[in-house]
Amino acid sequence: MTEEVEKILKGGLEVEIVPVEGELNVGPQHPGSGHMRIFVRLNGDIIEDVDLDVGYVHRSVEKLSENRNYIHLIPLIERPAILDSIHMNMAYIMAVEKILNVDVPPRALYLRSFAAEVNRIASHLYGMGIFGVFMGHSTAFMWGFGDREVWVEILQALTGARVTNSYILPGGVRRDITPVIMEMTEKAIKYTRRKLNDWKGIFVNNPNIKARTQNVGVMTKENAIRWGAVGPNLRASGVAFDVRKAEPYAAYDKLDFEIPVYKEGDAYARTLVRIEEIEQSMKMLEQIMREIPQGNILSDRFFKQIPPIRLKKWWEGQHRIVMPGYYASFRPPKGEAFARVEAGRGELAFYVISDGTAKPYRLRMITPSYRLIKVFRELAKGSRYADLVTIYGSLDYFPPEADR
Amino acid sequence: MIVFPGLIFSLITLLTAIWAERKIAAKIQMRFGPYYASKRIGGYFQLIADAIKFGLAEIIVPSNSIREFFILGPILITAFAFLPMAFIPVSQIPSSGSITSPYYRFFFDKFAGISLYQPIITPYSLLFIIAVASVVPILTVMTAWASNNRFSLISAIREGILTVAYDTLIIIALISMGIEYHTLDIASIVKTGVPGIIANPIAAFVFFVALLMGTARFPFDVAEADTELVTGAFTEYSGLLFVLSMAGPYLLTFVYSLVFATVFLGGWLPLMGIPGAILTVIKALIILFFSVFMRSVYGRYRIDQILRGGWKYFFPAALLALIIGMIGGIFL
Repeated sequence: MTEEVEKILKGGLEVEIVPVEGELNVGPQHPGSGHMRIFVRLNGDIIEDVDLDVGYVHRSVEKLSENRNYIHLIPLIERPAILDSIHMNMAYIMAVEKILNVDVPPRALYLRSFAAEVNRIASHLYGMGIFGVFMGHSTAFMWGFGDREVWVEILQALTGARVTNSYILPGGVRRDITPVIMEMTEKAIKYTRRKLNDWKGIFVNNPNIKARTQNVGVMTKENAIRWGAVGPNLRASGVAFDVRKAEPYAAYDKLDFEIPVYKEGDAYARTLVRIEEIEQSMKMLEQIMREIPQGNILSDRFFKQIPPIRLKKWWEGQHRIVMPGYYASFRPPKGEAFARVEAGRGELAFYVISDGTAKPYRLRMITPSYRLIKVFRELAKGSRYADLVTIYGSLDYFPPEADR
Repeated sequence: MIVFPGLIFSLITLLTAIWAERKIAAKIQMRFGPYYASKRIGGYFQLIADAIKFGLAEIIVPSNSIREFFILGPILITAFAFLPMAFIPVSQIPSSGSITSPYYRFFFDKFAGISLYQPIITPYSLLFIIAVASVVPILTVMTAWASNNRFSLISAIREGILTVAYDTLIIIALISMGIEYHTLDIASIVKTGVPGIIANPIAAFVFFVALLMGTARFPFDVAEADTELVTGAFTEYSGLLFVLSMAGPYLLTFVYSLVFATVFLGGWLPLMGIPGAILTVIKALIILFFSVFMRSVYGRYRIDQILRGGWKYFFPAALLALIIGMIGGIFL
């Protein structure tokens, strides 16, 4: 007994100290992780390092595409980003068209832009909803999903599906726009303009959201370029790069639009870029509806191959394209092609190699979220634990898109 | 007395509060909220159905948790969140003419000179409420420790840091009222006829903010931040214990709302008897609904932002309330 007392007097009381450093497994089953595991190394409340364990929703798109016909690949290619499927579809088709060397009629180009911009608005609203709920703002979550609905309805009227539209075909698009859809779009634009003001009131200008997002996850211009950020995240860091401007595709060379750029590079700037992109997209939609040229929606080369009976029933009746038999297993010439588009989350690139058979020899797919993995990891270092979800949401990182 | 404001009444209030929270939020968020479980009363039974579902669910106790504390935690939290109701006077018993008048002598508060609907008559009711309610965060930390989960542990740390910030605010706000009215007896404060919100508006504001902080309401929801910490201290809970762990903070909000209604909003005045009690509860419910309504407007702040706000702005405001209380005390 006396020994123990002496020990205590000499060495002091031994107190068990809880270590301030520790690891935290956020995910894969966690409300704030999405389809991945975020391995966080914490020091107190500060994140020392983050390891993103991605791949939980890997679909093996690139390997599977070596065993599918070109046209059968469209549904598979869309799956990684079902919210942004028009862009996924379009980039792939653009690469295939380069190999096939097809000219697309101008009306089809305008329709591609139309569908793409509708899809972009829907995708941004979805992203902002998720961002809101990550910060505990449940109203933004519900509004994001609710306001997205009107745009998804337009896509449904145009393409027949809410998501995974499979709308774009080599040489054109599948369905023509109708006056009813135009009317729907005008209504949706009016509604969204009104709603965006409400968004600004409750979300963007909310002091709470400002406090949470300003100066959080700051990405400088140099870092944004070095880490390979794309899309709205890049533009929020002061880099004025947009594939629609840099390398116009579809009808973008004929459309007037600006690309919003912010210098701050924080989570708040990224949100503002998204809000302004929605406004720009709506402006473009109005212009498309005004200026869309008359004409066919499928390249003549394929249009001629549709049997007359089916043409009469579907094209003359409902302005829909029935796939000609050629599509089922066409064999493009040998060659390779690279195509990129500005998807909702940023630059999306496809690289297709054809060896003359009905299946691609190799298909490489570089999605915007895939490039965000590095950005996410670098931004999370040194931030507070509570800011992990803010950074995650503000980047609009979408795990299935990254995993492909 | 047992029914009003007792256990059954608290249960009903609790369900109403959660129902109102969901309905109000749904209205703002372009949804219906609870709907199908009896459409005629706006899906009110959904909450009862949920409670039955949780109540009958299996309670899973993690093998590496401290079993006794893990089970005791939510039970004690609910109990201690409920106990302060024993010290809150909801109304005054008239000496004659009411069905409760036979109890006039039994619940006579000789310090305030009136008889009260208050289970335990004491001249220090304000002090007792603070004392009992401040046990809850300690129990929350204990629960988090017992459940042996890292998210719970972080939540416990946040809760602990936050407690220091908001308890100070609550105590100073209430003490300044005590100084202003020269008493720690809620009944005496109400009896003066001057509502606290007029006598000391800053104390009322500070108390309301501390109420939001102390009961993990938005925008101070950091201890239970679901996208960060799953459900904070109650991550590992299921079944009936989960219901209790959810009920505890709501009950505490209601208790603080009752304190706010009596101390700052004039309680049962100008009525008395049972109508007075209903008036007090209506006032408290307005505060409660307003505090759950904040969920629809705000996200959650970060812990460091809350602490900065608490110590840099609200703490000086609380001290100002104390000075106002001292000056106001001369006139009251």
